[in-house]
Amino acid sequence: MSKCRAILETVDLRKTYRLGDVDVEALRGVNLRIRETELAAIMGPSGCGKSTLMHLLGAMAKPTGGRVLINGRDIAMMNDGQRTEVRRKQIGFVFQKFNLLPILTARGNIEVARTIQGTARGDGHDEHLAELLRLLMIEDKMGRKPSKLSGGEQQRVAIARAVVNRPAILLADEPTGALDSKNSEIVLNMFRELNRKFKQTIILVTHNPELAAYTDRLIEMRDGLVVHDSNPVGDEEISTLVI
Amino acid sequence: MIFASLISRPVRTLVSVLAVALEVTMILVIVGLTTGIAKESGRRIVGVGADILLQGPNSSYMLALSSGTLPVAIGGKVKSDVPGVKAVAPVLLQTNSQGGLDLVYGIDPVSFEAVGGPFHFLDGQMFSKPGEIVVDDLYARSKKLRPGARIELLSQTFTVSGIVENGKGARLFLPIGLAQEMTGAANKATLFYVKVDEGQDVDAVKTAIEKFLQGYKVTRMSDLMSQMAPSKIPGLEPFLRTVVFIAVAVGVLVIFLSMYTTITERTREIGILRSLGASKTYIVVLIFEESIVVCLLGVIVGVFASKMVAGTIVKVFPTLIVTMTAEWYLKAAGFALLSGIIGSFYPSLKAAKLDPIEALAYE
Ligand SMILES: Nc1ncnc2c1ncn2[C@@H]1O[C@H](COP(=O)(O)OP(=O)(O)OP(=O)(O)O)[C@@H](O)[C@H]1O
Ligand SMILES: [Mg+2]
Repeated sequence: MSKCRAILETVDLRKTYRLGDVDVEALRGVNLRIRETELAAIMGPSGCGKSTLMHLLGAMAKPTGGRVLINGRDIAMMNDGQRTEVRRKQIGFVFQKFNLLPILTARGNIEVARTIQGTARGDGHDEHLAELLRLLMIEDKMGRKPSKLSGGEQQRVAIARAVVNRPAILLADEPTGALDSKNSEIVLNMFRELNRKFKQTIILVTHNPELAAYTDRLIEMRDGLVVHDSNPVGDEEISTLVI
Repeated sequence: MIFASLISRPVRTLVSVLAVALEVTMILVIVGLTTGIAKESGRRIVGVGADILLQGPNSSYMLALSSGTLPVAIGGKVKSDVPGVKAVAPVLLQTNSQGGLDLVYGIDPVSFEAVGGPFHFLDGQMFSKPGEIVVDDLYARSKKLRPGARIELLSQTFTVSGIVENGKGARLFLPIGLAQEMTGAANKATLFYVKVDEGQDVDAVKTAIEKFLQGYKVTRMSDLMSQMAPSKIPGLEPFLRTVVFIAVAVGVLVIFLSMYTTITERTREIGILRSLGASKTYIVVLIFEESIVVCLLGVIVGVFASKMVAGTIVKVFPTLIVTMTAEWYLKAAGFALLSGIIGSFYPSLKAAKLDPIEALAYE
């Protein structure tokens, strides 16, 4: 087996929410490594901690315990500004509810991401965007507001927005959860294409077992722990040292 | 992004812009009106054409306007005994409070014109019969008067004999003899206007008059002008400060409310921006920029509205003057922007402090 790099790694990752005087242990020691260019699916029953894990992998929150290493840097040690920078430079998010800005057109939504990330002009970004829009088949929908797009189209705009700046990792939390089966299939095929064409590392959360067919690897969770992994990354496979 | 946000909430944007416009209009019109009136009365006094103003001890031009306390004879003495004096004109001041507050000059036309040059009659002529009065063009326009018209003044009825060009001290002129009779101050005057001989040093004549009439108040007209500047008028500065403060407070509250309510409305949007990697500073700047745009639009609307209001005021009340200077345009714009910054300060911090995950989950 050729040596590869773990782009994302968690070590004994814990997250506890405080609800009044009750502690909810959403993650209870997750150890996970994700390879670069991998398309992995996370499955598990409702409330098992999938979204919580995605938020931590995406530097949206601080863990209660353990480590989250994104490209070797531990976000547990970071302040809000540093985590924001990680999100800006390394992460793309796709949500179940699309989360497009309703006041902007499809193009406006993508432009906002480019402005925030400082890639509005040049450096081949425009060609990359054009290619993306072609792949996602939404080139002719760019002038429309989200309210004038179907759910499938909205989600494809959201995907374009998430990857327009070539993030190291694309995180998608139930991306087909709000779509019918036909649109789900279209969107899943797009993830597959993104992964093949642009070597995009993607982690998907889903409730849909059929999704396994689209992915390289299936990770199952239960009660805040990983209980099964179809293709785990062993120590011998890791080439980079983790601090 | 900013314009899309403003356009997507048209009513809120419109109301905020109008509120800022109101703030700007309030400042410009009230300041313009008060300084305009102050400047105008200063201009009118200079328009008399005298070099020196002679008043009794302890009197001020702004206060104690109507008291006939000086013997008219003093004027003649000054003219004959003080070298360099060309002419002296006694004036008895009265204020008419019927239908507005107007200054009435009781004058002797011959000496008054000797001091300040001839009146310029636009219509009619100088009073000659008892009960006649001369008014200036602005007063005539505001009361729609023509020669021969009758007016009620100082509890008497007068007939307008002529209309003169404005700018000669007062808007209304009566014979000094009549004025003395009306106030029971026979042979008395409130003040004297003095003209010095051609080529005479005004300061030297002023000193000579001071020596001649010990204790009297002798003022150069050019000094009086600066005393009449708006900043010298008692109570005007605090009044203007209060107006500006109230206007800015209105602006601050409206911007605050407008921005504060959108933050709640836009919680999800802020969460989305944060998930895309927008920093807290980005969110703060976004809210600030939006309120600045609202304020700038408000300034533009406010400046136009002020011009319209000022135009209407001057049309309806020709005796009023609204002076809007470049300085006050800038100040009003500055105050509007200031209220935008103060008003969006807390809302923008609140927006930046939102937790990204909770904001995204907000319904
Ligand atoms: N902000 C929060 N405060 C308190 N408890 C929370 C919070 N967010 C999540 N939880 C709890 O943490 C646990 C894990 O939640 P999480 O959203 O990660 O589950 P999930 O696997 O994504 O579920 P689903 O499939 O329904 O989306 C749940 O028990 C949930 O109730
Ligand atoms: Mg979830």
